[in-house]
Amino acid sequence: MEKKYWQSIEEYKEQNKGTDMNKEPFPEFSIEGLDESEIKGKSSRRDFLKMLGFSVSAVALVSSCQTPVRKAIPFLTQPEELVPGIPNFYASTFFDGNDYCSILVKTRENRPIKIEGNDMSPVSRGGTSARVQASVLNLYDDARLKNPYKDGAETDWATIDKDVKANLAALSQSGRKVVLLTSTIISPSTKKLIDEFIATYPNIEWITYDTLSFEAIRKAHELNFGQAVIPEYNFEKAKVVVGFSADYLGTWLDPVAFSKQFSKNRKILKGNTEMSRLYQYESRLSLTGSNADYRYGVKPSDEVTVLLNLYNEVAKATGMSTYSVNSSPVDVSKTALDLLENKGHSLVVSGTNNLNIQLIVNAINNILGNYGSTLCIDKPMNLKQGSESAMARIVNEMNEGKVDGLLLYNVNPVYDYHKANAFAEGMKKVDFTLSFADTKDETAELCQYIAPDNNYLESWNDAEPVKGEFSIVQPAIRPIFNTRQFQDCLMKWADISGDFSDYLENNWKVILGEDGFVSSWNKVKYDGVYSLPQDEMQGNSGFREQKLSDSESGNGLELVLYEKIAMGTGKYANNPWLLEMPDPITTATWDNYVCVPVKYAEQNGLVHENVVTINGAFELPVLVQPGQPEGTISIALGYGRTAVGKAGNGVGKNAFQLMHISDGYADVAGTEVTMEKVEGKTYELALTQMHHTMEGRPIARETTLQEYIKNPYAGNEEHLKDEKNNVTLYSKVDYDGIQWGMTIDLTSCTGCGNCIIACQAENNVPVIGKDQVRRRRIMHWMRIDRYFSDDIDNPVVFHMPVMCQHCDNAPCENVCPVAATNHSDEGLNQMAYNRCIGTRYCINNCPYKVRRFNWYEFANNNNFDYNMNSELGKLVLNPDVIVRQRGVVEKCSLCVQRLQAKKLEAKRENRPLRDGEVQTACSQSCPTDAIQFGNLKDEKSVVVSNNKEERMYHLLERLHTLPSTSYLTKIVNKEA
Amino acid sequence: MIISASAVKNHLKCKRFLLLSGLFTFLLFTQLSFGQTAETEANFAVCKACHTIGGGKLVGPDLQGVTERRSEAWIIKFVQNSQALIEAGDQEAIQVFEENSKIPMPPNNLTDDQIKDILLYIESGGKVAASEVVVVETDETVASQETVQAETPSKSVSGRKDIRNMQITFFVLLVLMLISLFDLFVTKRLKAKWIHYIIILTALYIGGEVIFVEATSLGRQQYYQPDQPVWFSHKVHAGQNQIDCMYCHFTADKSMHAGIPPVAVCMNCHNQVKSGKNTGESEIAKVTEAYNNRKPIEWIKVHNLPDHVYFNHAQHVEVGKVDCEECHGVVEEMDEIAQVEDLSMGWCIDCHRTKEVQFVNNKFYEQYSKMHEKLISGEMKKVTVADMGGEDCQRCHY
Repeated sequence: MEKKYWQSIEEYKEQNKGTDMNKEPFPEFSIEGLDESEIKGKSSRRDFLKMLGFSVSAVALVSSCQTPVRKAIPFLTQPEELVPGIPNFYASTFFDGNDYCSILVKTRENRPIKIEGNDMSPVSRGGTSARVQASVLNLYDDARLKNPYKDGAETDWATIDKDVKANLAALSQSGRKVVLLTSTIISPSTKKLIDEFIATYPNIEWITYDTLSFEAIRKAHELNFGQAVIPEYNFEKAKVVVGFSADYLGTWLDPVAFSKQFSKNRKILKGNTEMSRLYQYESRLSLTGSNADYRYGVKPSDEVTVLLNLYNEVAKATGMSTYSVNSSPVDVSKTALDLLENKGHSLVVSGTNNLNIQLIVNAINNILGNYGSTLCIDKPMNLKQGSESAMARIVNEMNEGKVDGLLLYNVNPVYDYHKANAFAEGMKKVDFTLSFADTKDETAELCQYIAPDNNYLESWNDAEPVKGEFSIVQPAIRPIFNTRQFQDCLMKWADISGDFSDYLENNWKVILGEDGFVSSWNKVKYDGVYSLPQDEMQGNSGFREQKLSDSESGNGLELVLYEKIAMGTGKYANNPWLLEMPDPITTATWDNYVCVPVKYAEQNGLVHENVVTINGAFELPVLVQPGQPEGTISIALGYGRTAVGKAGNGVGKNAFQLMHISDGYADVAGTEVTMEKVEGKTYELALTQMHHTMEGRPIARETTLQEYIKNPYAGNEEHLKDEKNNVTLYSKVDYDGIQWGMTIDLTSCTGCGNCIIACQAENNVPVIGKDQVRRRRIMHWMRIDRYFSDDIDNPVVFHMPVMCQHCDNAPCENVCPVAATNHSDEGLNQMAYNRCIGTRYCINNCPYKVRRFNWYEFANNNNFDYNMNSELGKLVLNPDVIVRQRGVVEKCSLCVQRLQAKKLEAKRENRPLRDGEVQTACSQSCPTDAIQFGNLKDEKSVVVSNNKEERMYHLLERLHTLPSTSYLTKIVNKEA
Repeated sequence: MIISASAVKNHLKCKRFLLLSGLFTFLLFTQLSFGQTAETEANFAVCKACHTIGGGKLVGPDLQGVTERRSEAWIIKFVQNSQALIEAGDQEAIQVFEENSKIPMPPNNLTDDQIKDILLYIESGGKVAASEVVVVETDETVASQETVQAETPSKSVSGRKDIRNMQITFFVLLVLMLISLFDLFVTKRLKAKWIHYIIILTALYIGGEVIFVEATSLGRQQYYQPDQPVWFSHKVHAGQNQIDCMYCHFTADKSMHAGIPPVAVCMNCHNQVKSGKNTGESEIAKVTEAYNNRKPIEWIKVHNLPDHVYFNHAQHVEVGKVDCEECHGVVEEMDEIAQVEDLSMGWCIDCHRTKEVQFVNNKFYEQYSKMHEKLISGEMKKVTVADMGGEDCQRCHY
């Protein structure tokens, strides 16, 4: 029987009732919730005549007007490297205190407009994440501070310098304590500078604070190996990965690097049948869990028991002593067997910030001999250096009045510390407070001084995310406002001459050596990355056993907090692109909510969009989430900000206060909460879930590795049938030279959503707001469909990116009355916006539902108060792509502007196009290389070789639309 | 010179054939007048900004007879890097440097052979007709901008025709039509009804045509010739001084924008040239002032395309080898620049349908194997832009 996929719970129930989805389709569009005018239409015949009269006179008026005078203002002296109309790329680094990524910044006329992945980086290897892609919009955030502040009023830097120096000197002379509270700093030069700064003012204590701490991992390694480090993880070498609540493909530690490594092991191409296997034990449905071959739902309080059982199984098999333990709620024997079979090529990770759990994880990895292979403590990661005990101590000292000065860099504890109130109270007792925040955030609002830092695209810096792997941060634009880099402030206040770029250069002289420094320094800036020669990795030397212990399972309702793919810990809560990005699992935009297990919801009479109170503290809407383990609920962090800017203020609720604290470690999961339904109250959520449903047709195709080895066409039998049936009277379109095509490997795609934001940035896709998303008008040119199958309590998840398929036989083209959409010589299904009259016939006739209609003028319209109505926000627009006006249809163009640019480059250089040179925005930065793009007429191209795979199929082949985009069947490494 | 497009405001409609004939004659003219290779001429274009051949001193000395004055080896060294030579203490170089008010000659990335070719080219007199070279120290009285503008209508305005007075035609016909309609149905004076019909039909036809012509030109700016903040003459620079287009618009072969030259480029010459033929010192002073006050000049953009059009100069100039004149008209004949073509989509497409692609000269086109076969078999005579997809919407609209 054909496997059934479902996208929502309603659809699942509908299927299981035995009704035929095709006969009784789920209502695609509900008019409930729309205002009356939307349903009936407001205009009468009189209105029509009025409009007619108005438009005729408007046209007459406009046509009699003079053409506006446009000016062309050239440079006084044109900088050598800058040619108007040609983009420059600068290698730089994204690091916001949490996530690291080596990037290229695309600038046009000296303004950054797009972030691309830097494929020279051995760490992030050309991948990016949605947040990295969206970070360019933060540069043009209206909420950024334009001047330094003193006591809530704007001031100048001279005043700041004078006051701060006087304050610091006074505090230093009287020996009173000043705290410098920063996020994790991975820049060796900045660290050195801070040390020098502290040498000038020895009364300063430097504390590192991470919003979500990883201290337990460091502590566990200190106990086991004597080094308080986070080891380097290598998922590429791991044939079996067992994850415990670690969303390493989505948000955990270094997801871009891990996704790259993960995908390298899962390419079933060109006869390769080797594939890693992922086990995931987790207390909510995470992105990693949705990609795991085996996934088990586990309550946070059961995680220790499951892990210790796994330890016992592994220890037993290797003849080591075991611990007495409660029986595991899920069977771990299969996992243990797989781990033992792949000794030295396996990896166990846990994202739980709990010392005991991390000790068990280390012990298992040690028995399996993974240290020195998939884990490396000699080459540790420098991310997440925060110390929770120090932070807790400082908050106490602040409240006791022992701290007299507080400098805050890149931290916002008043919003995201679990004892935010205590911190805010403590701040009141500190005489001298200063924040380097670039916006007036919750913490900066309470500070006496704000010395706004530059955006990272305006700054110099370096980074060392992994020991020995360096990268450079270099400015792509001058500071837009009267801001100053944090490091420059420190230098000024410590009377260090020069600016930070000189300081950085001098520091790099030590790394690169004085000989030939100019050229080697230039090369580092050109490449963006620099690796020190690596020593041989050492094995698991000197493992010190620690006592492991079990714990009792909880009885209450356990809360799991988590970072959303888009929102993270709330640093980008004012970024409209990220606010509107559908979550890969829930497909919700613009809000946070309580994910409730299906069974629990049924038992307690909760349905989607009901409102509940959590601990009586705050209300949130309910989202019934398949795959949410029994006895748990989950809430996203990063919402509920009050001082972030126009787009993000008051969106969702802040849940940081509900962090689970045990033994001084704050973890996201495990707090027992009470949840009460608020009777009669509902809250609308903007989900893209039932949009564009494909009505149960065989679109998502998958098979297991075993089946695939037996029959390469496994799961894709339909393709052969359809190929046979595809008979046509018409001759096939014959392209010459170039036919653009795309292949999407569904085995690799994790659904991370990087491509959605990359596309949005590249193609000037507007943000339309929650209300419009609810009306199913989301403008994204590509979406990631999420299908569920199998068990509703632990579903198998399927992610599938869908954009315009560029059919050779396109149904949309035939129905356009004005030929606004037609076919190009290079196989593109093109859209001429200025010809479109907005009949939307094409939208109706497109079987893939990838066309979007501009219901409103989204630019320069204050009803859409995001970024396209502000002078500053509009600077992010790509000048090569038009901003579409109201009333026209738009869709994926396969980034035609990028294709044209690369063709021109080849023509100017008098050479043929090279495969891989032309990339669309989505394919360029895909962290798993799932999306490949190229010329289908080039026999040596990757897309042609992918299309020769037996796994290849097109969407809805039986319609004979002949798409240029093809998919490769998803292969799951699961035993049947 | 056949035509002399000039600054006639408001009377700008043009007869295409005259313009084309002008263009043709111009091309013929340029074809005839050089002796050396095209490459040499292109290389010399850079020199021309400061030197003449027999035209007297410009910024640098007149190059006529330079091969007799200096040794070839010395010239090569000096041309390649004059400053290096001066720094090395070469007496001859220092003398030349000081004679020419110590304006350094920028280094040139030319090979020895290229310079030798240029020297041959100079010996042969270059293509520049001596009579055309304008020297700063001419005897002509310096005319002010106003007098030039007042004079220009008396000069040849061929290539343009007066605007047909569409409005009057339209309203006269409208009135005639109304009168005949009124007579037809109400007063009924004229018994011969066919007269009414003829008048009405003629009025409808001509009125319709007027509306059509006027409506299609809405938003277009053919013959747009705004007053610029600085009275800059292309005729003097590109025409009489023979400065290559690409000397000032130096990104036309690289970028989508041809680029308005930065003031620093003007100052390359106007460091020295402080007085002009037409406007004396007043206009050049504006340029110097802009440079000294660090305030860029706000030029009025003449050739405007709608936002939904993507046009790339590099594609046309560098890849397609389209001459600037083909779209911009005979710029070297215009004092103030005007838009000669209507830059309509029909005009673009017309060219795309006939223009031949550099199909065999560019390795990029090797991948179009079917078209190559057709060319060899004779099925296709030439490959036009349209054959390569030049009529596709998303070549220009995205």
